Amino acid sequence: MSEIAIETHCLTKIFKSKIRNLEPKNSILKRKERLTVTAVDHLNLKIKKGELFGLLGPNGAGKTTLVKILCTLLPPDEGEAYVNGFDVVRQQMDVRRSLGTLFSVGERGVFWRLNGYRNLEFFSAIYNVPRRKRHERIMEVLDLLGLKDKAFENYQKYSGGMKRKLALARALLPDPPILLLDEPTVGLDVISSRSLREFIKNLSEEASKTVLYTTHYIEEASQICNRIGILNKGKLVACDTPNAIKSIVKKGEVVEIRVTSITDAQVEAVKAMEGVIDITSQVEDSVLGQRRLRLHLKNIDSLSQVLHFFLKEKIKLIDLRHEEPTLEDAFIELTGRGLEE
Amino acid sequence: MFQEIEKIYYFIKRDVISFSTYKTNIALMVLSALFGALSYAYLGSNADMQRVLQLYNISFTSYLLIGMAFSTYIGQALTLVQKTINPWHLEEVLVSPTGLGTFIIGSSAWGFIWSTIVVVVYLAVGSLAFGVVLSINVAGTVLVLGLGIGALIGFSMIGAGILILIKEGDPITWLIGILTSVFGNVLFPPQVMPYQLQIISYVIPQYYFFTAIRLMMVGWSIQMILPEILALSLMCVIILPLGYFIYSWCLKTARRNGTLSWF
Repeated sequence: MSEIAIETHCLTKIFKSKIRNLEPKNSILKRKERLTVTAVDHLNLKIKKGELFGLLGPNGAGKTTLVKILCTLLPPDEGEAYVNGFDVVRQQMDVRRSLGTLFSVGERGVFWRLNGYRNLEFFSAIYNVPRRKRHERIMEVLDLLGLKDKAFENYQKYSGGMKRKLALARALLPDPPILLLDEPTVGLDVISSRSLREFIKNLSEEASKTVLYTTHYIEEASQICNRIGILNKGKLVACDTPNAIKSIVKKGEVVEIRVTSITDAQVEAVKAMEGVIDITSQVEDSVLGQRRLRLHLKNIDSLSQVLHFFLKEKIKLIDLRHEEPTLEDAFIELTGRGLEE
Repeated sequence: MFQEIEKIYYFIKRDVISFSTYKTNIALMVLSALFGALSYAYLGSNADMQRVLQLYNISFTSYLLIGMAFSTYIGQALTLVQKTINPWHLEEVLVSPTGLGTFIIGSSAWGFIWSTIVVVVYLAVGSLAFGVVLSINVAGTVLVLGLGIGALIGFSMIGAGILILIKEGDPITWLIGILTSVFGNVLFPPQVMPYQLQIISYVIPQYYFFTAIRLMMVGWSIQMILPEILALSLMCVIILPLGYFIYSWCLKTARRNGTLSWF
């Protein structure tokens, strides 16, 4: 029996659309131009059974497209994909029986006029949960997610966190071996997000579920995932354990500096220095003009160049720390851009 | 098979629960059905169209009431497939191990149950308040309903397919709706119109549906409406597969382009 839960070979998805060309010189016949976007580009991926695999990437990297191909909503243009050993094109019903899917806009698939219990009752029927076990399974899943007391409350009265949990409960109902969770914590507050992450981690560790977890929150992926894949413009640019990916930036040094009175132009000037690989800037106090700079340097000697610049520009230094590289540093190193770009 | 029937039951249950939460809307719909029945029956009892209706051998009151009652079925059949492409739920259901057929039937079953309730209200008002005499040929009614709904579902699939691709405004359903109200033999017989316009009635399934269903309501036998049955059957055979082909092609295209829920 295969140990692989999800597998793709050269998987490719290309979207074609027509866009209006606003150039006034063009004739009417040329006003619409074809635009081709390769959302998933010859992707080769293997996820083992029982693994919690994080798929990281900025908006538009191809994460949701990949999830939609795996759950049979989108046909690929090239290549193959297998879920639980079933082909996503030729064995769609077997693939669907193997999966629980949570889309990034999970609330859309819930019936707002029904309470939590009735929603799950409907979905348990269309997911073939045996009739005799249905009530027991619904209550079990609601209990697991801490929604048992709210089972018969109107869905409209649920908080954002409760709505996401109900959407996850729907994915868990048929007790599938594989879960596709597309940005499950998006839009949640810190506490709800943490509790949902812990629940998902337990699902993988205790219930041996295979989880494909897409996110653009680097820290949550590094906290819970066994392995991480970094997707950029449809290509898998790295795939390893969080620590192994962080080691990609080991060849340089990471320094975190807190300063006051620095302008955007000065940050750009630092970025242009020869010894600086990259810099990220975060405003800490806009009134005091306080910022936290994270510098990825070629070597520690390059720091003197930066400090000399601060002295010359009368930029006040508050704090300086030598840091271990994070997953975000690795991401920037690999893709040349931050996750929010 | 039992599992699929059970799924349809849960689709109906879901829609009944949702429907029952709109209490004011229910009251208004029941009132509309009653008011509609009363006003059309009154209109029918006072209109001078008996001469034309000798063709059908029924009173204008019966003509109008039966037409209005069964037009709700036509409305349901015409919008049946469109209801399944609700972007809020389409993807969630399409990733489940439930076939497209069960999904379409389940999503529209409650609409047909509601239409049946409306028909009962119309016919009851007609019988009790206006003395409309009915002698229903049940088997014939079911046959005509099946054929009429079948032909219109074909149009519904064509309209839904176009809607899946263009996302707003479904010209097919709009056009069929217009044709139903003017040429469909719902509110007046097409024989009152100039012959050139009557031709339009003879090429659309609604005309044969309403002609046949009225005759089934007053006790004619199936053999007596054989021309209408043949016309409806022929239209079913042409429109239904054509509609299924167009709908499947449009659904496949939207899936390939990733635009299924772009509404």
